[in-house]
Amino acid sequence: MEHVVLGIDGGYPLLVLAWLAPLAGAIALWAFGPRVRSLGGPIGAAICGVAFLALLPLWNAATAIGSHAYLFSTHSNGIGAAGASAVASYSTNASGANAAAVSTLAGIHQSLVSWAPGFTFGLLLDRLSLVWALVITGIGFLIQVYSIGYMTGDRAFARFFAYLNFFVFAMMTLVLSDNFVGLLVGWGLVGLASYFLIGFYFDRPSAVKASRKAFVINVVGDIGILFAIFLMFAAVGSAGYGDVFANVAKLSPGMLFAICGCLFIGCAAKSAQVPLHTWLPDAMEGPTPVSALIHAATMVTAGVYLIARCAPLWNASEESRMLVGTIGGITALAGALLGLAQWDIKRILAYSTMSQIGYMIMGVGVGAYDAGVLHFLTHAFFKAQLFLTAGIVIHALADQQDIRLMGGLRTRQPFAFWSMTLGVLAICGIAPLSGFWSKDAVIYGTLERGYPALYAIGVLTAGITAFYMFRLLFVTFFGTYRGAIDPSSLGIRHPELSGQAVEPAHDHHEAHPTSILMIAPVAVLMIGTIGAGLLWIAGWRDFFAPAFAGAPEGHGAVFLPELGSTILVTAVVLVGIAIAYVRYAAPAALREAIERLRVETVRMPAPLAHAFYFDVAIDALFVKPAQALGRLAGTVLDPLVLDGAVRETSIVTAWLGHLARSFQTGLVRAYALTLVVGAACFVAYYAFGAVR
Amino acid sequence: MLVGPEQYIALSAVMFSLGVAGVILRRNPLIMLMSIELMFNAANLALVTFARAWANNVGHIFAFLVITVAAAEAAIGLAIVVVVFRKTATVDVDEIALLKG
Amino acid sequence: MIVFWPLALVLIASAVFTITAKKPVYSVVGLLVNFAALAVLYVTLNAEFLAFIQILVYSGAILILFLFVIALLSSGTKAFDVGPDRLPKILIPGGLFVFVVLACIAAVTVRLPFVTRPLAAVGVTGNENVFGSVADFGTALFTTNLLPFEITAFVLMVAVIGVVLLAGDEAPPFAKKARPERESIVKTQVLK
Repeated sequence: MEHVVLGIDGGYPLLVLAWLAPLAGAIALWAFGPRVRSLGGPIGAAICGVAFLALLPLWNAATAIGSHAYLFSTHSNGIGAAGASAVASYSTNASGANAAAVSTLAGIHQSLVSWAPGFTFGLLLDRLSLVWALVITGIGFLIQVYSIGYMTGDRAFARFFAYLNFFVFAMMTLVLSDNFVGLLVGWGLVGLASYFLIGFYFDRPSAVKASRKAFVINVVGDIGILFAIFLMFAAVGSAGYGDVFANVAKLSPGMLFAICGCLFIGCAAKSAQVPLHTWLPDAMEGPTPVSALIHAATMVTAGVYLIARCAPLWNASEESRMLVGTIGGITALAGALLGLAQWDIKRILAYSTMSQIGYMIMGVGVGAYDAGVLHFLTHAFFKAQLFLTAGIVIHALADQQDIRLMGGLRTRQPFAFWSMTLGVLAICGIAPLSGFWSKDAVIYGTLERGYPALYAIGVLTAGITAFYMFRLLFVTFFGTYRGAIDPSSLGIRHPELSGQAVEPAHDHHEAHPTSILMIAPVAVLMIGTIGAGLLWIAGWRDFFAPAFAGAPEGHGAVFLPELGSTILVTAVVLVGIAIAYVRYAAPAALREAIERLRVETVRMPAPLAHAFYFDVAIDALFVKPAQALGRLAGTVLDPLVLDGAVRETSIVTAWLGHLARSFQTGLVRAYALTLVVGAACFVAYYAFGAVR
Repeated sequence: MLVGPEQYIALSAVMFSLGVAGVILRRNPLIMLMSIELMFNAANLALVTFARAWANNVGHIFAFLVITVAAAEAAIGLAIVVVVFRKTATVDVDEIALLKG
Repeated sequence: MIVFWPLALVLIASAVFTITAKKPVYSVVGLLVNFAALAVLYVTLNAEFLAFIQILVYSGAILILFLFVIALLSSGTKAFDVGPDRLPKILIPGGLFVFVVLACIAAVTVRLPFVTRPLAAVGVTGNENVFGSVADFGTALFTTNLLPFEITAFVLMVAVIGVVLLAGDEAPPFAKKARPERESIVKTQVLK
């Protein structure tokens, strides 16, 4: 069987180092965590930094190669032949349609193992995985540095960093794999890492519940991808990226849609798309750095990566683009609306993450891959910054997360205030911050490609985003400090029943001074928050042009020019900000802030307060039937069928034993008779045999 | 009526069957042992008959061996009866069902 | 061979009497008759030495042993087989089956193609060429069939030791602890 290899095959030890170093770090910290104790943090961060630095020298190799596709044959010894010496045996494949499809995977390739004929695992570093790998290790490094300050004094300090390193390894596996099976392995492992980290405070029931929920929903997604792989094997006979993409033209539209649909189930679960998003807000039970790294910057964007990676599939399937774009748009809007109703600072950020990922999915779904990927990059910066800033605030307020009990922090925590302001402006899309460029590109990308409804949703969501993010900013940092006020006067009656994770995400509840280790990473992230968007005008599209060749282009017949769209979006955003200002930060609002917050708490519309009843619906549709099935099995199947079989077996055995026992009479004469019967049979056999 | 080996063998079979019946039907260990002697002798009769029929005296040697074994068996069997009688004061084999499962 | 039929009748009648007698002493008498008739049959089959052995060993030794045991247990005059029969009912068809099979064997046996070879010579007893004579039997026993003869001796020795161990003492000797004591007992018993 001929295999299409992605990128130039060769030996890249630095790539393997960047992939395996976090795993080594995780194992070492797991094994020796109790010994190294407070050194665990610096060690973990350093390993992540090493992985980041190891990727940098590969930049030229991974991006310099143009659109080439390589075929090589594997009948002789599988794909074990690694290293540059094997390059000579490859022949360039330039035949027709395959070349265009496969050219999306130009990059460098490191063959690693082959564990079945025609099935191999290798590392692929092309433009797309390069961006992701740099973000994972780079932001992973910054967040681990931050965590050294944030987690000081925590139990299991080293275990935390072991988990983070394990997560980085899993995520690197996901993005560096050169085939869907390897991707699924990484996909499952990041889910596992997320499970570990959400449930990091495993003595807290709510955290355990949240981690379990996240894990189960993520496994639903894993199964989607698993079925996609089955379909690929059935249709193409391979799960390598190159093999699948080279054969896209041969797939029937139905099969293509089925594969895309199954893959998208995985994306929806991992990237918190409606209706599989319910785990993300609950995941805020984890420590704040975890929320920043896993549930904002990297893991939840794996769905965006997968769709961008599978661009040849989506390019060929109009229905799949429609499906993904629509779900992304709905998620963006739903996340923004739910963000309106939250009081927990981390949950607000969680819903905004969901909303922004909705944007990304919408972008890559409709074919604006470069815009979606840029939004991933900018979002990774500003959302990580927002979360880390929220962590600074929570840290300083002895683990208070309810913004109603904050207020007036502008003067108390000036750094947090300015950082938060910068992040909020970026997420709202105020020029020239990073979010402006990427969000604008995504929103206009939908219009360009003929999805006016999605465009409308995008614009509306931008306005709502501006409103609730400024609400967060105003309520937290403006007015007077409300931390000493009786919660009931703000309408907070039963923290548990209000659906807000008021329980602090820390296990030692005292105010901490903000250490330089927490401020420095945020300062570095600010650079990205301000400047990352400029990549859009610095040749971002050209950079990704070979990666997304064949993507649907804009129709041209657009009634609104790009500049007009930008002005429209900005205007809507400004309106959102203005409403937020009037409601929460105008002098009149600040005077009666407590009363206003109480009224808003009490009069929160029921659908928003209950997160559109998604949890209730999932509970009724899946959890309850599953539990009923379990009860049925427990009351009928197990006692009657399974236990019954065991019981019947024992009864039959006992009966046979009784039967055998009845021969053991102890009577010599009975034994003699038995003996004679046997002897008589023996003799009769020969006697009659002689006659015959 | 001519008498050939067939009649001797048939007589041997009848005697053997009577011995079997004695072992199975009687509960007195002494009579059971005597029935076993009957079976030995039926076997001996068959052996001697075949020896005569084929003019081969190995049959006699075997019969001699059987007589010896019968003597040994009678001695051991009677010793067991004596021991059992001493222990249980009964000579009903149904009473000494020590191997009952 | 007109003598066969009366002898057969006596054999069967005495065997039936043996297994049906109420008292063991009667059985011994039946067995005695049976063995005597058998000895005569042996003579008709040219097995003179075996006929003598039959009388000497069976009638003279084994039956006397039986009589001694009957006397020892002082049950010679008691009726046996009293009380409920504990043989399971399931064995009744089994017993029937045995008799059917044995009857079949008997029926088949009389139809076997026997080859009756003429004896090489019929002459004075003592000539080793005469089939079944003592000289013939002795030659065969001590030359070609020496091993069975040796085995015979071994079997008898084992039987003697076994009987001594079993019935030689009130309690089974293996229940005792002192080993030398047991050996001395064995010796004395054997010497007696």
